[in-house]
Amino acid sequence: MSERRFVLAMLSPAVLFLGLLVAYPVALLVYNSFFEVELMAPAAREWVGLGNYADALTSGRIHDSAIRTLKYAGFALFFEFLFGFGAALLFASIAERSRWHRTIFALPLMISPIVAGLLWRFLLVGDIGILNYGLTAIGVIPDPGAIRWLSDTDIVIYSVAAADIWLTTSFVALVSYAGLTNIPKDLIEAARIDGAGALSRFWHVTLPLMRPVIAVVLIVRGIDALKTFDLIWIQTQGGPRQASEVLSMNIYQRMVRYGDLGEASALATLFLLFMVALAGLAYWKIWRVDHG
Amino acid sequence: MADRLTSRANPDVGKTVINGLALLLVLSYAVPYVYLVSTSLKPAADVQQIPPSFFPDRVTLENFETAIGTAGLPQAFLNSAIVAVLTTVLSLLIAVPAAYVATSYRRPLTVSFLLFALVTRMVPPVSLGVPLFQLLKSLGLLDTTTGLVLAHTSNAVPLALLLMAAFFENVPKDLEEAARIDGCSRFQAFLHIILPVMRGGMAITALFSFIASWNEFLFALLLTSQNSKTAPIVIAEFNSVYGLAWGPMTAAAVLYSLPVILVTLVLQKQIIGGLTFGAVKG
Repeated sequence: MSERRFVLAMLSPAVLFLGLLVAYPVALLVYNSFFEVELMAPAAREWVGLGNYADALTSGRIHDSAIRTLKYAGFALFFEFLFGFGAALLFASIAERSRWHRTIFALPLMISPIVAGLLWRFLLVGDIGILNYGLTAIGVIPDPGAIRWLSDTDIVIYSVAAADIWLTTSFVALVSYAGLTNIPKDLIEAARIDGAGALSRFWHVTLPLMRPVIAVVLIVRGIDALKTFDLIWIQTQGGPRQASEVLSMNIYQRMVRYGDLGEASALATLFLLFMVALAGLAYWKIWRVDHG
Repeated sequence: MADRLTSRANPDVGKTVINGLALLLVLSYAVPYVYLVSTSLKPAADVQQIPPSFFPDRVTLENFETAIGTAGLPQAFLNSAIVAVLTTVLSLLIAVPAAYVATSYRRPLTVSFLLFALVTRMVPPVSLGVPLFQLLKSLGLLDTTTGLVLAHTSNAVPLALLLMAAFFENVPKDLEEAARIDGCSRFQAFLHIILPVMRGGMAITALFSFIASWNEFLFALLLTSQNSKTAPIVIAEFNSVYGLAWGPMTAAAVLYSLPVILVTLVLQKQIIGGLTFGAVKG
């Protein structure tokens, strides 16, 4: 077998599969976005050009859910990074004695977002959420009914992020820890001999060396947070009154509840383009920093 | 680095503070899941008592019995397992050969293919789910195991490709050459020389594909309705059908997540290795 035929033979199942189940559906998505078409009767369709895009870009509900998606992702990412990186620094400073700490931290690493969402809903929900009883007991809030985490429309989008933060802080912590242990010890030692204090060593040696790790962690987690569906769905289904409806959920509702395949497709296309552009920009930036 | 955060004047006090902080952090991280397990072990009537108690007054398996007795739950666990196994096998069959030629035969076609796989990882699931619904419907595969396996595999193949490509990067280039000089064809060299070396990498890739499918929710919600519902869908439905049946719901969530936690415990090192690929090597 020639080299060329070997490469083609090995590659073609993957190309065919991704072509049929990723590229073709995406093409179908874009195609549908130019039509007025119902989910249940996709044969009867009417060409509307960019009409669905115009509707999507001027819809107040879509605008709100896009802003909410950004708020959610920003909030979750900030705390995941703060707690995760903080934990990594703590673990690194007690070095090998942090083995058990890291093991416990790793346990939720692979569990389903559904379980995290369900668990946090149970911690936060109405009369039986134990968190408010705990906060009352230590005097933070006057009574368990004082904060309605999942039914107050002003805070619900941040409340549902608690499950996300709990679930993925360990990812940030363990990846950051692996990065910290890769930093050559003699670099830090040299800085110490030069008289650099702890804070200065952290700022001028550790942080610059950790830059690629931090960037990858932020990109991977940021993209995941923007795509979130299940974790919020199981806590609130987007409610109350759409106050926790993020973009993925808006698209889902538009398609499943309202059967508006055309507009759901237009919005899903915009979402896809935004995500690919964002990821492309981020990777390009990192690539330039590392290789340029 | 050992004393970065400790005060040099007072190393013992600093160490104690750090140990205390680390312990506090880990405990507060573990407490929510412990509460889930503890709730699942309470008598059904106590689960929603006001005020709630952290530990059960009496440990019982009532909630587990109710959960397992709930119509559809055992079947849903079976469906989840079948879909996850088939997804894993199919993903590896498709991704391993492709990842091999993409890393060891670098040329425009294979490089752009890997790039395509990377871009695929950015596609929001909902953007793929909307047209997949239509595609599977036209193929008559809505609400079938086959349909869901195809959907999950479309998600797992790019993941497996990128993971395997990272593993293949570490295989010495002259391994295949040596096999070729000994008279192996390219395919024989791949099958008999390269693959056995890659067992560890393939096992991790299989594990990630399996868990991705086991945990998946949105495709299952969109693409199944009666016959091929998976465990997370049925667990989520404890909500609507039984009001707020928190007891059985926590029991089902424990049954669903505990195996994953045990696997993580056993394979901790390999899993973290898989997750940190790229992130740490840069």
